[in-house]
Amino acid sequence: MSSSSPSGSGGDLSERRGIPAAKFIQDVETYLSQSSLDSNSALAFHQERLQQYKVVEMKLLAQQRDLQVYFPPPLCRLAKIPDIEKCLEVVGTLEARKGTGEALLADFEVSEGIYSRACIEDTDSVCLWLGANVMLEYSCEEATALLKNNLENAKASLEVLVADLQFLRDQVTVTQVTIARIYNYDVQQRRVKQVAPTAITAADS
Amino acid sequence: MQQGKSSSSGSEMQVTWEDQQNINTFSRLNNRFHELEDDIKFAKEKCDNLEDAGNELILSDEEMVRFQIGEVFAHMPREEVETKIEEMKEATFKSLEKLQQEKESIVSQMAELKKVLYAKFKDSINLEED
Repeated sequence: MSSSSPSGSGGDLSERRGIPAAKFIQDVETYLSQSSLDSNSALAFHQERLQQYKVVEMKLLAQQRDLQVYFPPPLCRLAKIPDIEKCLEVVGTLEARKGTGEALLADFEVSEGIYSRACIEDTDSVCLWLGANVMLEYSCEEATALLKNNLENAKASLEVLVADLQFLRDQVTVTQVTIARIYNYDVQQRRVKQVAPTAITAADS
Repeated sequence: MQQGKSSSSGSEMQVTWEDQQNINTFSRLNNRFHELEDDIKFAKEKCDNLEDAGNELILSDEEMVRFQIGEVFAHMPREEVETKIEEMKEATFKSLEKLQQEKESIVSQMAELKKVLYAKFKDSINLEED
């Protein structure tokens, strides 16, 4: 599936990952006669489309938030970007200490507000929490490689998500403009029909 | 996220595909602008926090300082902590600068687009923040 470039190529894709593209209307009158819709039905159709877009937007925003916001354990999983970065930092620190032979004293949270001290000896391996009640032991290098890989994947997912959101917002904008244009066209038509003897035309709609 | 983009009734303007693309671009830039403002605020806070941490460190005279790595507080000698804080300050400052540059570029792009769109649509379009 081709990805849309930032300079609004939304008109070139008919849909993107299940999101239908909003067709740009060159001329409202032609559109209405071709689809044999009257203004109200067309307006209703486009407004429903707009609602659908908004629903998808909410979903994507929630997914994006999931990837970017930091959750402390036990809610954290290795899928989130800040979590992975923190893990990488810890493993990096342990690796840096490997040669020195001195133990690392660390205070960690046992429960809310309660901390305990741990003495981390010089070690070659770390355990990584993979989620689903699974924890695996890795050597420091393997752990770094795995975490870096996960970070790459998470960042790639985020990029795709951001592109999806941009595409979606373009479609929302196109739909909003279309609704406005159909509405204006409708108002214009009504005015034309109201060719009253008096020159007063209704100024408010 | 919505910026005012409504057309007033009674307009007879034709909207071309190019206009639509301009409006779309403006919308994207506006969204990005708001995201950047949030990011810049966050980066500034981080800078301030690191500054405070550095100052606290200078004031305190403990040899072993607890430095937060990930979720745990590791006991580290003072010089190491000082170095780390300096590094983090540098990195945060650089990213803050980059964000501000991007924000300025976006503001000028948006001003350009506003000119173009207002020229075509005049009163029929509203591109201001509500």
